[in-house]
Amino acid sequence: MTTAAPHDVPHTVQAGTPDLAARFPGLVAPDERSGYSGWIVTADHLVQVATALRDEFGYDLLSSVTGVDYLPEGKMEVVYHAFKTTGGPGICFKVQTGRDDPQVPSLVSVYPGAELQEREAWDLLGIKFTGHPDLRRILMWEGFNGHPLRKDWQEPYYEDEAKPFKSRSPEGHVYRFEDRNPFGDNVRYPEDFDPEKWTPENPEDLLYKSLKTYQAESPDGIETDHIVVNMGPQHPSTHGVFRFVVALDGEKIVNLKPVMGYLHRNHEKIGERNTYLMNMPYTDRLDYLSPMSNNFAYALTVEKLMGITPPERAEYIRVIMAELTRIANHCMCIGSLLNDLGAFFTPMIYLLEERDLILDVFEATAGSRMMVNYFRFGGVARDIPEDALEKIKGLAFERLPRILDEMDRLMSENEILRARGIGQGVLTAEDAIRYSATGPLLRGSGVPYDIRRADPYSIYDRFEFDIPVGKNGDIYDRYIIRLEEMRQSVRIIQQALKQMPEGPVMVGKPQYQFRPPVGESYGRVEGPKGELGFYIVSNGKPTPWRYHVRAPSFINLTAFGPMCVGQKVADTVAILGSIDIVLGEVDR
Amino acid sequence: MDAALIWEWVIKALFLIFFLLGGFAYLTWYERKALARIQVRYGPNRAGPYGLLQPIADAVKLIFKEELTPSMADKVIFILAPIVTVVPVMLMAATVPWGPPIQLFGRTINMSVADLNVGVLYITSIASIAVYGIVLAGWSSNNKYAILGGLRASAQMVSYELALGLAFVLPILLAGSMRLMDIVTKQAEMGWFVLIQPVGALIFLIATLAEIGRAPFDMPDAEQELSSSYHSEYSGMKFALFFMAEYEKMIVICAIAATLFFGGFLGPGVDKWPWLGPIYLLAKIIVLLFLMIWVRATFPRIRYDRLMALGWKVLLPTALGLVFVTALGILLAEAVNPAMLWIIPLLSLVAGVLAVGVIERALRRKEYARR
Repeated sequence: MTTAAPHDVPHTVQAGTPDLAARFPGLVAPDERSGYSGWIVTADHLVQVATALRDEFGYDLLSSVTGVDYLPEGKMEVVYHAFKTTGGPGICFKVQTGRDDPQVPSLVSVYPGAELQEREAWDLLGIKFTGHPDLRRILMWEGFNGHPLRKDWQEPYYEDEAKPFKSRSPEGHVYRFEDRNPFGDNVRYPEDFDPEKWTPENPEDLLYKSLKTYQAESPDGIETDHIVVNMGPQHPSTHGVFRFVVALDGEKIVNLKPVMGYLHRNHEKIGERNTYLMNMPYTDRLDYLSPMSNNFAYALTVEKLMGITPPERAEYIRVIMAELTRIANHCMCIGSLLNDLGAFFTPMIYLLEERDLILDVFEATAGSRMMVNYFRFGGVARDIPEDALEKIKGLAFERLPRILDEMDRLMSENEILRARGIGQGVLTAEDAIRYSATGPLLRGSGVPYDIRRADPYSIYDRFEFDIPVGKNGDIYDRYIIRLEEMRQSVRIIQQALKQMPEGPVMVGKPQYQFRPPVGESYGRVEGPKGELGFYIVSNGKPTPWRYHVRAPSFINLTAFGPMCVGQKVADTVAILGSIDIVLGEVDR
Repeated sequence: MDAALIWEWVIKALFLIFFLLGGFAYLTWYERKALARIQVRYGPNRAGPYGLLQPIADAVKLIFKEELTPSMADKVIFILAPIVTVVPVMLMAATVPWGPPIQLFGRTINMSVADLNVGVLYITSIASIAVYGIVLAGWSSNNKYAILGGLRASAQMVSYELALGLAFVLPILLAGSMRLMDIVTKQAEMGWFVLIQPVGALIFLIATLAEIGRAPFDMPDAEQELSSSYHSEYSGMKFALFFMAEYEKMIVICAIAATLFFGGFLGPGVDKWPWLGPIYLLAKIIVLLFLMIWVRATFPRIRYDRLMALGWKVLLPTALGLVFVTALGILLAEAVNPAMLWIIPLLSLVAGVLAVGVIERALRRKEYARR
């Protein structure tokens, strides 16, 4: 963790990152706003600079792409964060454009992993990425008016720019808008818009058109018709309301498009209305299977912005909780993967028992089993109670190592699991990096990239642990890696329990409302599903100006289509299960 | 043909039908309980003691559920399909002998509804009719999942029917008759056929699992992939009929397996007390059913193309080899020495080991083999 906030440091080239201004004189300028870092690239030369970053400087993993609407300056900014898979700090580069018709060249040709993220930026901010192969809306529906993350976009019941709303505070009078608005009045249409005469562009047609982009193969000269099958949004194996459309040749998949947004609630817009602390419980709802990890990433990002460091004991508690949440998440993931492969709930239920024991610890510590809301800026909400600590010790030193070995014996050598896992859904190391995959998906493909080791945060540099990697990048590798990661998490917890000092768990006194200094900050942790990042821009007010979540489930789905092509229908659900998504995080 | 004979048939048929219906209901309970115990749960325990009234509650729910028919479905076939699935199962059960003939009211009564002299042939032919129901259901639902499931079902049944048919040949050869009663009585003198032809019995069990679409071969109604495919458009009692067909098929197939390979109603004391026959058969059925449930709780689903590979490349050649081995053993026993019958289990085990080696190859993709 950095002890000094970025705004304290005068702008110099960060150690270990290249001086882009020297490499591209005139095209790239350092970002010299107070509290900001990185480089500002001119839009016309973005692709050139990005290619050089990837090929010359080795920033092969484009982690995050997002936009910021600087309404007062009348500018739109696209922010890219790229990292090296060999480790080390990342590089941040930005492109600025006007607000009226923002156009930025697409980076899909350089980093294919930008595909879904650019679509999201188009959908929510209205930034057009020229050259993008399939620029459709992704989270909102096609008929949606406007782009909700723009600062001048107001929701139907718009009241105020930031909470607490005056109508409800300080008296706390809460009413429903439906009650106040007589019927008909509670929807505002733009001028010259008549809902009766308006027919939206059919989103299904657009989707099917984009699905038809594959090259039809007919090796024997006989044309065959392909059928389109919708899997989801109501389907037992999509882990929620996820939908993917497949074009099938017999049972073989020729193309696949994921469709998401059925659970979209515009988390980021809510986050920009909330004060900083109000967002903490919201992050639990992103990936509800690993809430501690979400808390961790958000707390890290805001602490970076504020320039505070939590006390020692709090750091250890954080690590223990984050690793416990990783074990709980992988239990769920392996269980449901085996379920997707057709095992009738037996492995799932065996593993759920372990997850339940971990959730018991969360309940004793945080007060809630899933929506923990446990981390605070500068520490954690409360200390671990004595009996919960005993429970953790029992889990880490006795139960979990034994159970993990037992699960290994039960499942790993199963002939059908091996037959369905080995060689299926292969993602090569190069492809995994190109598609910005992170977490077990990337490591399963043989890239030893774990943020805990590559760019250590918190106190992870104090622990000994291994980073398991796969060989083939298939379903079986991802399964084995998760099993192995659980063992490594147990190792980390054991070390943390031994080293944990006594002391306070919170720096200073709890603050409910505070104003971080102006600036930006990108914090990331190695979540159970991959790199979970938060990008926050502060303008000195109690609410963030921009609050962006780099969701691993969402971005890992970029590789889903390419992985499935050529496989059978039965494999799609297994591949999806091996990516490990949670729809709360995909759709946000 | 006198009136008493007709009465005998009617009573026996009714008995069998009610046994199958009751058996179906309590098989669901049995399966849920057994799965629950394997998975460290309780299973149904709310309705009645040990959840014994659960099947009744389920039946009431299914009867009162709304029956939906998709508007674009082919209505006649849509209604016909579940019936076509259920009826053959009941027909198949007719030939199973439940015990030695008994004397009642001065008549000799056979303990099977119909003791056909071509019983085994009858079973194989009727068993294949059931697949029509599934294919028709898949086709008439006008649903892509359903049609995929229906097509899978037809391909799967056709390929496994061959191995199954050859597995049927083994007891026929050993007993020298197609009549199930003869097969059972032959086992009284020769010992259970599972001892003489162990690998044959194994192939029979595997092929029946595929034939009735149970895990790990539950390809047609792969819930996780095709959301239950061919019956995904069915609701209410029509859905219950498919369910009924599946579970009754399990019972009947287990009864047939018990009869062909596990000595049927035979057991200690059956000669003296014929009423023990049905009890022994029922006990054997329950044990075999438990095996099926155990497999379901343990294994993931094998993939469709692997299933076909297993059927065509492993089970069929092995079954053919076993037929040869059995015929050879019988010939040698007749021509040289009755003790030569022992050659059958030995050669059969050799064939089995070879087959396992081939399975290994069929299931594993060599280019990715490791560790």
